[in-house]
Amino acid sequence: MATESELTQFLKSVEKRAFKRSLYHVRDEDAALDIVQDSMMKLAEHYGDKPANELPMLFQRILSNTTLDWFRRQKTKNALFSNFSQFDGDDNTEEFDLLEIHGVAEGNEQIESAQRTVERYQSLREIESEIQKLPARQREAFLLRYWEELDVAETAAVMGCSEGSVKTHCSRAVQALDKALKAKGLTP
Amino acid sequence: MNTTAHLTDTHADRLARRVAAQLDQGLTELPHDISERLRAARTRAVAARRQPVMVQATGVQVQKGALVLQGGPDKMPFWGWMGSVLPLVALVLGLFVIHTLQNDWRADELASVDTALLTDELPPTAYTDPGFLRFIRAGAPDSTSSGASPD
Repeated sequence: MATESELTQFLKSVEKRAFKRSLYHVRDEDAALDIVQDSMMKLAEHYGDKPANELPMLFQRILSNTTLDWFRRQKTKNALFSNFSQFDGDDNTEEFDLLEIHGVAEGNEQIESAQRTVERYQSLREIESEIQKLPARQREAFLLRYWEELDVAETAAVMGCSEGSVKTHCSRAVQALDKALKAKGLTP
Repeated sequence: MNTTAHLTDTHADRLARRVAAQLDQGLTELPHDISERLRAARTRAVAARRQPVMVQATGVQVQKGALVLQGGPDKMPFWGWMGSVLPLVALVLGLFVIHTLQNDWRADELASVDTALLTDELPPTAYTDPGFLRFIRAGAPDSTSSGASPD
């Protein structure tokens, strides 16, 4: 069973990354903070007695589900199109939704225009921007696989899809990032 | 696969790692208020942490030279429940039997007294006779003299 200290250390180690990951999805700091806080509470309340080595996978899954719940609530609340709707869709039909791409482009223009003033972090901002432009499933797979450093099986478990789908999502995400960053003259 | 159009696995992996490293650097640039709100959220979550259930052992058993605690918060088994209820039932039954037997003994004693009175030579109504009481107080006359008096 994880001690209080182990739980604290674990949450401390993942909280910033969890916040950024949620922010890439929802593009709203307050909403991202709410999602991270809800995820932390769920982990502590329901799984606080689990062994420490089980916490990372549990937390990633809770964070993904909480983010998905947020999009569902938003969808119901605003009755607007959400680019995150791909989370509910079939794996084969997710990457060429014209309405979704349009929505992503609009959101990122605002983010990028605000971030251009920070020259020092331009490269990072461009990368973040390109990550946000990725289709939701590709972005989720990429961040879990390469940023959270889960293996393919763990990523598949968190996303609730097959390992083959994870590999496909990751491959397409990396290709899209490579193409976009090269077009901007960036080499990460 | 067209190698010019697609990244090789190694190159893709390298690119992905480099992007992830850049994202990691971005973590250090989080605004102070965001970091503080995350810290507060973490503190609240840890405070709400699920506490382990304390298990109370109901017995100790020796297995292969080791002491093993038995029992816990599980539902009480049937025989355990019976073990608690049966002594109580036995106590109530015992008290009822004792009460019944005492009543019988008291009734037997009264019956034996009544029997002795009824089977005696003197009729019971004699005890209520005022003359007989006077006779008792004055002392019974000598039976030989009374029996010898020539009436």
